[in-house]
This record gives sequence, C-alpha cells and structure tokens, in this order.
Amino acid sequence: MIRNLENLIIKIGDVDRRVIFVLIGLAVLIPLLTPVSLPIRETPTTVKFYEGIEEIPKGSKVLVSFDYGPSTRPEIHPMNVAVLRHMLRNEHKVYISCLWPDGIYMALDALEDISDEFSLKEYEDYVLLGYRPGAEAVIKGLASDLRKVYTVDANGKFIDDIEMMNNVKNLNDFAYIYSGSAGYPGTFEWVKYGGDPTGVRMSSGTTSVQVNEVIPYVRSGQLIGLLAGMPGAAEYEKLVESPGIAIKGMAAQSFAHIVIVVFIIFGNIAFFLKQKKERKYSK
Amino acid sequence: MFVLTLSVIFIMLYEIRLTKFTDKLPFLRSIPGLKAIEEAVGRSTEMGKPILFVPGIMDMNEVETVAGVVVLGHVANMTAKYETELDVPVARAIVMQAARQVSKEAYLTQGRPELYNEDMVHYITDDQFAYAAAVNGIMQRDEPAACLYMGKFFAESLLFAETGNSIGAIQIAGTGSQTQIPFFVTACDYTLMGEEFFAASAYLSQEADLIAGITAQDLIKVILVIVILFGTVSRALFDLGLVSFDFITLIGI
Amino acid sequence: MILKRYIPIAIVAIFGSLTLSAWFIDNETIETFANDDATQFFDIIAAFAVFLGALNLLKLQFIKFIKKQKGWQYSAISILSFFFAFIIGFFIRGAYFVDDKVFFTQEAALESIIILDVSKEQQEEPYKVQENSFKNLSDAKDFAIKQNLITPVDWGAHVQKNGSLFQWMFKYIFSPLSATMFALLAFFVASASFRAFRARNFEASLLLLAGIIIMIGRVPAGGLISSWMVMYLIVLVSGLYIHYLKKKNNVTIIFTLAGFILVTIAGMITGWPIDKPSIFYLPLLQEWIYLVPNAAGSTAILMGIGLGIVVTSLRYIFGLEKSYLGE
Repeated sequence: MIRNLENLIIKIGDVDRRVIFVLIGLAVLIPLLTPVSLPIRETPTTVKFYEGIEEIPKGSKVLVSFDYGPSTRPEIHPMNVAVLRHMLRNEHKVYISCLWPDGIYMALDALEDISDEFSLKEYEDYVLLGYRPGAEAVIKGLASDLRKVYTVDANGKFIDDIEMMNNVKNLNDFAYIYSGSAGYPGTFEWVKYGGDPTGVRMSSGTTSVQVNEVIPYVRSGQLIGLLAGMPGAAEYEKLVESPGIAIKGMAAQSFAHIVIVVFIIFGNIAFFLKQKKERKYSK
Repeated sequence: MFVLTLSVIFIMLYEIRLTKFTDKLPFLRSIPGLKAIEEAVGRSTEMGKPILFVPGIMDMNEVETVAGVVVLGHVANMTAKYETELDVPVARAIVMQAARQVSKEAYLTQGRPELYNEDMVHYITDDQFAYAAAVNGIMQRDEPAACLYMGKFFAESLLFAETGNSIGAIQIAGTGSQTQIPFFVTACDYTLMGEEFFAASAYLSQEADLIAGITAQDLIKVILVIVILFGTVSRALFDLGLVSFDFITLIGI
Repeated sequence: MILKRYIPIAIVAIFGSLTLSAWFIDNETIETFANDDATQFFDIIAAFAVFLGALNLLKLQFIKFIKKQKGWQYSAISILSFFFAFIIGFFIRGAYFVDDKVFFTQEAALESIIILDVSKEQQEEPYKVQENSFKNLSDAKDFAIKQNLITPVDWGAHVQKNGSLFQWMFKYIFSPLSATMFALLAFFVASASFRAFRARNFEASLLLLAGIIIMIGRVPAGGLISSWMVMYLIVLVSGLYIHYLKKKNNVTIIFTLAGFILVTIAGMITGWPIDKPSIFYLPLLQEWIYLVPNAAGSTAILMGIGLGIVVTSLRYIFGLEKSYLGE
C-alpha cells in the first residue's frame, strides 16, 4: 500500500501543467461565486498609509495619480477607489492626473463608482486633469509649473477657467500626492521628481510584485506607508470601512496560494521519492 | 552627490588608463549565461529552427534596452556566421531602427549581407500585453529553438519564459529589472542578473576599455562596502555612547 | 564615416554630458533643457517613429494575409483591429451630448430628441423637438442642430470622454483582453513554482521555505494558522529528518513525542494565543522576511544595478561603447 501511495505521489509530481491550470482556475472561481469571508489583518505599512491621509488637514488640495491600466486593475483600482472615498470623506479637493494613457479610463470608472455616494460635482469636488505623455517630464513640469503641462483639462476646458485651479501653480500647492502605480511611469518617478524635490508628503499603492523595490522608500520615509497589492487594498478597504472588490478577492487569492503551496509540497515529496528510487536501483 | 559622481568618473578613467599600460587584460570571471549564447545559436542551427531575441519592452532611453541591443549585435554576428534564422520582435519603433542597424552591421561584418533581411527586426505594438500576446504567438507557431530575453521587462517576463519552456526552447535571459529577475531565474536555463547583463558587452567583445569599466565598477563597490561597514560600526559605537563621532551624520545621510 | 560614426558619438557625448551636468549646475537654461526639452525631444521623435513601426506592422501582416502564410487568419484580425481603432480614433468623434447623456453618433442623439407624435392633432406636423413641431424629419433635425441641442465633444477630448465610442472600445474590447493576458500570470506562476521549487540543495530549500511562508502569510488564510500549528509541524518535520539521519524508530518516536509534549505544555501555560510566539506566526514572519532579509538583498541588488547603469551610461557618454552604432 505504501508503494502504491509512493507511486501516486510520484505521478502527481509529474502531472501535466494543464491540471494545475484547471485547479488554480477552480480555486479562484469558486470563492468568487460563493463568497467566503476571511478576517483581514492590517499590516503596519497600510496602517501608516491610512494615518498619513488622516493627518492631512481637512479641505486640503490633494493630487491623485492613476498610473495603471486594465491589466493591473484588479490590484490597483480597489485601492484607488478607497483612497478617493477617504479623501472625499475628509472633504479634500481632489485633482486627478494620469501618467498612463489607460489611466484616464480607470479614473473615469473610479469616479463613476463613487459618484452617487458623494453626489460628485466636477470642478467643485474634483478636477480631472487627464493624461499627458512624457512620464517623468510631466512630473517635473508639475513640480515647476502645472500650466506648462496642463493648459486644458480632460474635457478640453482651459485650466485658468476652472475656479478650483486658482492658487494651484505647482506641486507645492498640494498637501499630499498619491500615486496608484503599476510600473513605469509611477511610484519611483513620483518620488524622484515629485515628492523628494518639493518635500510634499506622498505615498503610493503598488502591485504586489513591485513592493520589493518600493520598500526601501517606505523605510526611508520618502513614502508614508504603502498599499501593497490586493492584500494592501483589502486592508485599506477595511480601515476606511468600505468593503469592496479587494476584500472579496482575498478568499480567491488565499485559496489559489494554498493550492500552489500544496502542489509545491507534493512536487518536493515526489522529487525525494524519485531520488530514493533511483538510488535504490543504481545500487 | 557631485563629488560622488566625479569620483566614479575618475575611478573609471583611471582604470582605463591603467589597463592601457599593462599587457594583460583584467580578469573577468566566466558568465555562464553569456557562454551559453553560442551554445544556443549552435543548437538552433542544428535543429534548423530560428532564434527569438526579445530586446525588452522599453525604449532606447533605457540603458537596459541599449545593453540588450548591444547583445543583439553579438548574437547577429553568430547567426550570420552559422546562417541561422533570427527573429527580433520589438515593442518600440526607435528600438526597431537601432536593432536593424546593429543587425545589418553584424551581417555585413561577417560578409553575409545577402542573409540580412530588414523584416528580421519587426515592430509589433507599444502595448505591454498585446506585445506579450504577439511574442507568445510567435513562439507557439514558429517554435524557436532558442529564446533570448535581453533588456527591460515587466510583468510579461514570466509569460515569455513559461511559453518558451512549454515549447522546449533553451532560454537565456538578461535584465536589470529587479522584480523580474526571480521569474527569469525560475523559468529560464540561464539568467544574467543586473550587473552581469551590463557587463555582457565587455565580456563578449573582450575589449580592454570596456573590461576596465567593469573593474572600475568592482572597485567602486568595494569602496561602498567599506564605507557601509565603517558607517555601521561607527553608528553602533556612537549609539552605545562609546564614541562621540558619527560617520553617517558626517557624510550627511 | 563622419556621418555614421563621429557625429552620433558626438551627439551622445554632448547631450549626455549636458543632461548629467544639469543636476549640478544652477542655470535655468540648462535645467529647463534637461528637465523638459530633452524628454520632449525624445517623445516627439518616438511619436513620429511610431508611424514607421505601424507601417512595418501593416506591411508584414498584409504580406502574410495575401500570401496565406501560416497564421494568416490572425493577420486578418490584426489588420481589421488596426483600422478599426485608427478610424474611431481619428475620424469618428463618437461622442455627442444631449444634456448629460452621451451618444456615439449624431443620428442617435437626434433620435433621442425628436419625438414622433402620431395623435390626430399632430397629423400635419408629427415631429416634435421640445415645444416645436415639424412636418418633415429633416426639418426637425436641422432645427435641433441649429439650436445646439446636441453638443459634439471636441476633437482630442473625444478619446477621453466618458461614454464616447473610443472609451467603449477601450472598456469592452481592450480592457478585457489586457486583463486576460495579465490573468495568465496566475496560472504560469503556479506551473513555474511547481516545476522550479525543488529542495535540491540548502539554498534551494531556503528559497522554498521562504516562498511558502510568504505565500501563505501574505493572505488572510495565513492569519488563521496559529503559531502552535506551525510549531507542531516543525516538530513533525524534525522528527522525519531525525529518522532519515539516525534510521532508528525509537529515537524518532521519543524525539517527536517529547517535542509534541513540550509544545502542548507551552501552549497550555500561555493560553494558546494565535499569534504568539510571533516568530512562528506566518503573517508576522512574512512581514519580517519582507522588511529585513528581502529588503537587504533587494537594496544590494539595486545598488549593483544602479552602479551598472552609471558605468554603462558613462561608457556611452565617453564614446567607449560604440556597439549601439553597430560597431
């Protein structure tokens, strides 16, 4: 019987990758269709991020940058929506920029998601500056003179005709900068050319993969906290008390991770059993 | 910052000058990934299948992309020599022009201009995942025997590496993208990590000036390590109250 | 020779030095050049270069399609998609406003305004626009247009406007396709991990262990695993290892039992807190791995990469590296 078990495990170790694909697919799909509630534990970086926004004086001007596209939407969009909610609840005036061409559509979707909740009025609660090409050149332009980069907003209205843009000359006129970033251009460029040179407080939400690279900036204080991927977004949704897609997605992510770990363990057991067999037969 | 930059420049120029006065080239350890490029080209030639070269998804303003195009030049030299088909799908039009230039020169240098075809290097799209989908499609349809990924990559790196693995190609990757190195290490046969990738040009050309640049880099790293160690010890002693001198505060960190 | 070799090297040297020195020289002209103009020069060149790329793409896809080469069906889709996006981006406004509503075409917008009233009183002039009645549909349309009841979105803003045809294409075609490609990563990560994470040696085992801790610790499910469960697991695995080393059942059983008893006693004394001892609580352990050894390793690699970029860039600026010219 043990031999049969060993042979079964060795077979699992050689399984076709399509079987793994199917199981991962089910591990993600089932929790999404039949929601499972799991406790969310806030990490220090998320708590620091939340507190950083709470410290902004009420009614301040804040810049929110949508630097991601549809591919990374599941990770970054929930955090950006939650950030907008938090900002608007604290009665801040939100100015939205986009360094990615796709970012403008993500911004429009995010605004649509919260429009009814806050009865949003464009040019009273927020200004959608829109997308400008140039990556770091845009940030450098914003740091020196906003009107060099934006002469009109996303609707084609002249910046000087927007009352909310009065007394907004450059990044120094903002109390806080937030970038929801999925790569280049994004967090690093905002830190290097935006937050650091101007001294404006800033933070960011990034994909899980980028957290590695961004953590040194959090430790040095250049970023006040960090939202790390979908888990970070779920933690933040919990802190701002508006559960959304991130919290719902955590069950799917949990099960998917567990399936991967189980396969890795079985794979290693199969590897050792195979080695044992080969040593036995070579004697 | 200015002093640091000047120091780096002077160390580099000093090393280059020093190399000129010695007969021997400075020692450069073997980099398995670069050695394997010739093996990969040979394998493709024997199997009669093309080589796929992906120079990253960013533009020529990234140093990694330029380094990737430099490696392409060396690979093109080999494919010209062995008459192997080369396929270079690119994600930026400027990279297309630069890669074409470099490939053409390589074929001319090898005396095989008739083998060079402009469409070897072809533009796909700027969009990250559309490019990934196209390259994956090329891999599935053309089944190259060797896949080389040299440049700046983001999330599509694992898509390339896994698809390459599924078609049984030998895969060599080189990137300075820190977040993608683990994916390449997991899925590729050889990976040039960070500095190894930037040293590729010096390694492949064996030119004294370029190798001297690598030596300068190593010297700067040694100096940095000494400064870090000294700073750490000095700070520890300062915090313990054993000394009144803090090196880290002195250098303004 | 001068055109192909020396001029490009000179251009790289001059502009490279200028951009580098802009960080240190407090001169507005140089700073403006380095911060704004240089990047914009590149963006303009890159934007025009896209035409070359697009023409190359079309040329190759057309050849494949016409000659019916392998995969020509995909080429047909590529060509159709290209022209679809091109036309709705450059030639079709795709966004007409009637109050707050957006319509893709002017016709659709007009249809929403013009009401057809077939009652006896309106038989003569059945088409109504607001309070005005018209005999012909074309008159009604002309009136609506003259009265600016329909506001077409400005060219340029039409690609960013909420509800426009371009946005529709982005939302319902491009976004799902991009998301699908990114979603493939989930499957590929699983198959790559399964294939590559083997405890072949000490370093690989360490990588495997760290990977498992982070994968489980990072998600809420990891928070449900108490540190005591992890301790029991460690005792079990250690027992197996002792058995592998000593190959004596007695030693294995005694060791494992002793371990279990010790852990149980410690748990009973402390009251089985889920997250203590914190070294065995996966979420806290993964945080430590992220913030300490991982950050240290990442920073070291980052420094190496940074140095590599600096030296490589200096090689280009000083003209030592000419491979990008083809030499």
